[in-house]
Amino acid sequence: MSENIFTELYNKILGLFGQAAPKEDSKDVAVNRLRVVLMQDRTNLTPELLQRMRKELIELLSKYVEMDKEALELNFEQEGEQMALMLSIPVVRAKDEEEIEAAIKAEEEAKAAAEDSNSDDDDELDDDLDDEEDDDFDDDDLEDEEVEDSENDSEEVIEEQVDPVEEEKPENKKDKE
Amino acid sequence: MSGRVIVITSGKGGVGKTTTNANIGTALARAGKKVVMIDTDLGLRNLDLLLGLENRIVYTIVDVVEERCKLKQALVKDKRNPNLCLLAAAQTRDKTAVSEEQLKEICDKLKEKFDFVLVDCPAGIEQGFQNAVAGATEAIVVTTPEMSAVRDADRIIGLLEAKEEIKSYKLLLNRYRSNMAASKDMMSKDDVVEILSAELIGIIPEDTGIITSTNKGEPVVNDENSPAGRAYRNVAERIMGNDVPFIDFEEEAKVSTKIKKFFSKFLKKGKEN
Repeated sequence: MSENIFTELYNKILGLFGQAAPKEDSKDVAVNRLRVVLMQDRTNLTPELLQRMRKELIELLSKYVEMDKEALELNFEQEGEQMALMLSIPVVRAKDEEEIEAAIKAEEEAKAAAEDSNSDDDDELDDDLDDEEDDDFDDDDLEDEEVEDSENDSEEVIEEQVDPVEEEKPENKKDKE
Repeated sequence: MSGRVIVITSGKGGVGKTTTNANIGTALARAGKKVVMIDTDLGLRNLDLLLGLENRIVYTIVDVVEERCKLKQALVKDKRNPNLCLLAAAQTRDKTAVSEEQLKEICDKLKEKFDFVLVDCPAGIEQGFQNAVAGATEAIVVTTPEMSAVRDADRIIGLLEAKEEIKSYKLLLNRYRSNMAASKDMMSKDDVVEILSAELIGIIPEDTGIITSTNKGEPVVNDENSPAGRAYRNVAERIMGNDVPFIDFEEEAKVSTKIKKFFSKFLKKGKEN
């Protein structure tokens, strides 16, 4: 919030000297919005699949950092010719080594257990993984920890681009925040 | 003779498919080609109105399919141009009355007798679209420089690309307001072409003449002074393989505003003196 006030003020002062930040033409807004919408249309990713992807990413990253899950943003963006999937995660707290190791160990154990029970039934592997997600994810111990610590306001933002081809452009991120 | 079967489609409704069909058909017929137009928008037929033929329809495409008449009997000749025919849609039936195979069969029969078979496609991407596309080998995708129309055009292009029978498709940008594009208040032709990465076959300027010509049931291509009519005649030329340069409406708009500004300054000075 306070940042917005400052940028507004900054623009106003600039405006006094006749150098206001260049006004974006409405057709540029249309072109940019269309590009994002078309990228989503063309990926065949339904909202359910995006939701699932988001959930899986949270699950994966929660092993290493503690994040504000509500504020996690997952968006498609256009960077030149390339389409990029932008993931923005406000980090609440870095995890210490023991926590990370424990999380990895717990995951490996769960995986081994799943493999044992499915070793003779490959066809149902996918379904079983789905179930496992639904059962385990919400009451995961990682999640509980985070709820407790969520008041911690020393937030630091990690931005990760899932698209491996693209390079990160820090200016874009700042705009978004 | 084996004519070309071109489907005119858009996804979104109200962008000017039927108007485009009537005008391209009329322009091709004026150029001496034998043209038949098929209205496949069963239950919502309109092509007859744009051509002023609504009172001459006896049989429709459904009558042909259900063998109440011969195909030839159902073709309505245009008032002015004997090269131009219409196969009307049935107004009382729905999209299920004609199947993909039946439409393809009709197209195949007609292309033996005509140079061009233009298929007017209903809005949407459901069965009506699938039917209309079934007999065609080329497509013209009509869009306007608005977000919703461009998005739907993108969807249609995706569906056309998946169809083996469609060998090529071109984009027709309708209702173009060059003054708004010049002032960047509307997407320009370059923006639309870049977003859809499709080849343009024409740009039709927004023209009030379209409304008055529709009122009279007379396609605007017959009006020598209409900007949209001129643009549609150019589209017909390009369909026939002639390389006609695109009219630069932006430049024309800029020039005309410059002239206006010049005169208004002149007038002001005159008043002051």
